[in-house]
Amino acid sequence: MHTKLSHQELAFQEDVRVFMRENFTPELAEKIAHPATFKSATIEWQKRLDSRGWAANGWPEEHGGGAWSATQKYIYCNELAAVGAPDVIPMGIKMLGPVLYSYGSEEQKQKFLPATKSSDMWWCQGYSEVGAGSDLAALKTRAVRDGDDYIVNGAKIWTTYAQYADWIFCLVKTSDEGRPQGCISFLLIDMKTPGISVSPIISIDEEHHLNEVHFENVRIPVGNRIGEENQGWTYAKALLTYERTAIAGVAYCKHTLEKVRKLASQGGEESLSLLDDVDFQARLADVEIEFMALEFLELRVLSSIDNGEAPGMESSLLKLKGSEVQQLVQTLLWDIAGSSGGMVPDMHDAKALWECQGNVARREYMFGRAATIYGGSNEVQRNIIAKYALGL
Amino acid sequence: MNFSMTEEQLMLKDSVAKYLQDTYSAEHRVNILKQTRGYSAENWQTFADLGWLTVPFAEEDGGFGGNISDVSIIMEEFGSALVIEPFWSGVVLAGQLIARSNNDSLKKHLMPTLMSGEQLVSFAFLEPQSVFMLNHLTTTATKVGDNYLLSGEKRVVLNATADSILIPARTAGDGSSEQGISLFLVDANGPGLQRDVYRLMDGQLAMDIRFDGIQVSSARMLTAEGEAFPLISEVVSEALVALCAEAVGAMNHLYKATADYCRTREQFGVAIGTFQALQHRIVDMFMATEQCRSLLMRAQCSILDGSSDIQRDVAALKVMIGKHGRHVAEEAVQLHGGMGMSNEMPIGIYLKRLMMIDSYLGNKDHHRRQFCKLRYCA
Repeated sequence: MHTKLSHQELAFQEDVRVFMRENFTPELAEKIAHPATFKSATIEWQKRLDSRGWAANGWPEEHGGGAWSATQKYIYCNELAAVGAPDVIPMGIKMLGPVLYSYGSEEQKQKFLPATKSSDMWWCQGYSEVGAGSDLAALKTRAVRDGDDYIVNGAKIWTTYAQYADWIFCLVKTSDEGRPQGCISFLLIDMKTPGISVSPIISIDEEHHLNEVHFENVRIPVGNRIGEENQGWTYAKALLTYERTAIAGVAYCKHTLEKVRKLASQGGEESLSLLDDVDFQARLADVEIEFMALEFLELRVLSSIDNGEAPGMESSLLKLKGSEVQQLVQTLLWDIAGSSGGMVPDMHDAKALWECQGNVARREYMFGRAATIYGGSNEVQRNIIAKYALGL
Repeated sequence: MNFSMTEEQLMLKDSVAKYLQDTYSAEHRVNILKQTRGYSAENWQTFADLGWLTVPFAEEDGGFGGNISDVSIIMEEFGSALVIEPFWSGVVLAGQLIARSNNDSLKKHLMPTLMSGEQLVSFAFLEPQSVFMLNHLTTTATKVGDNYLLSGEKRVVLNATADSILIPARTAGDGSSEQGISLFLVDANGPGLQRDVYRLMDGQLAMDIRFDGIQVSSARMLTAEGEAFPLISEVVSEALVALCAEAVGAMNHLYKATADYCRTREQFGVAIGTFQALQHRIVDMFMATEQCRSLLMRAQCSILDGSSDIQRDVAALKVMIGKHGRHVAEEAVQLHGGMGMSNEMPIGIYLKRLMMIDSYLGNKDHHRRQFCKLRYCA
């Protein structure tokens, strides 16, 4: 048992470090942080990562991926976190990618994998519906066969970044026979197809990340279906385990904890910094210690994937713990900001206002409440663990 | 990076687990506790015959040459079965102090008898005022000719039947200095050592000792005079990891036993394990155990890698074990209902053992202070 890095790994670490320093410039960071420039700057950043073959680092080599080991992913995420750089937006590369190369046809792989990898195709995920959240199989958006097409009608909700997306991957109902899970197909839909409309949902962080996507007689070629008709649930389930692994947010927590420590060392009451206060220290220590365990849990999961074991129970555990620790960290961040954590500058206000710690803390805290809800709510994850790990 | 067990380690784990499964039932443990020694001498001999007592020690000293991972494997199985024999206090703690000391003649004489199970030593680390600080020592050792005269008081010395006791004492320095601490091997049954023996709630037999001017030869000093603290500190760090491995074993047993119980216990005509409110609590017990296991692995890696973060990682581990260990055991009692309250079921014994584990060598509050000191006051 050891965590020592080999010479090659140390060289890789240095390589990533230099790249981050040269490419994640303050100008780019600022553009990514601002809603008005978020999309173009994110694509630019992801293209830079892809130029080194790092964007799709988990994909197999035959599809242009890096086929990285657990150690490499760990090193990479740490270096990202060290400069506060974001990892790729997960929907395309991390969530859909594995479904495409595992279950897609040759034609689909050729059409979608390279464009997804290069960030020329921005994906969003069409799963949840008004009546189908945790009970995803209750979804009602329907695809009816008409010759070589499906006609899709219905609506998806909580669709993150649908306003930016070129394509959406959707679960749709294609049958009424038998268990609901056996009635679902997995479709890839071009967002420019006539009959699709997107309406924004403003979330409690006062921002526009979420949307409702409506489908009205949308005609989709049957060739855009992944795998067999009515087998979509199986593919989606496989995808969900990847989603859970991807959303633990370990690197994000590490970076934010660093920020908390830095902020806490700057100001406080009676000429002492907050970090000198033993009560605050104890509170921060509790969160840091949970984080240290989370960080190792992720290593355990990554290394079991390396050993050829599919991420199963551990991915639920990682999602649960990761989202809980994220919220603990965001709560600390907000508390440090004091009342300025309540400020809601308009995105067109002065840059200084937008970038001020209070605003950052408020946005991260508020949007962070979603972490225990999406990707299968934490209550559902607990149900899964109770059933599959504890036999209850 | 590698977290897999070696073939050898898998074999060690299997053999310890199998032995305990076959022989170490809850009733067996109750019977042992009825014996005055506080543990089974027969079991101890078996442990020796199976080679377990040699695991942490170097091959050149006649040991198995194991590392902290190997020791933790044994400790985790011991924790799962609530083994009462003094493996931790006698082998991991006191044994390692002797094995890593530089008093070669003492080592040469003593190590074979420790590994064969003939002799047992205990380390008296706690003083009435020390509140977990190993350097807060008031016991004194005054040199007179070739001997030292030891005076002081030690509390909760584990394994009251040990043949000898390792007593840290001040040969120089003031109350909390890390310099000037020496470590002496003292005959536990020698004249002038006043012993008050009692039982601890986890079943162990412990004692408070007092001594005023007992004479100890300088040949029985483990390091050069006044230089024992680094040795103590290093051995204690590893012993804490091993102790936490025992806790993880106990926690692992508890969440599984609780799930088993809730699967079979029926109320309102159904197994209570079908209730979601209970399911989620058991899941949280499982998660707490896995969080602790992650930190256990982290601390082991730190030691094996020779990292500069050993102290921080060990402190973090002890904090989490103290917090989650007791919580998991309290939940186990609650979910077992009345049966959790009965001494007939071992559930309460796990709670008591986990509470005592928290208390040994610094509880969660102490280690959180240490963690804060290392992390925020540097």
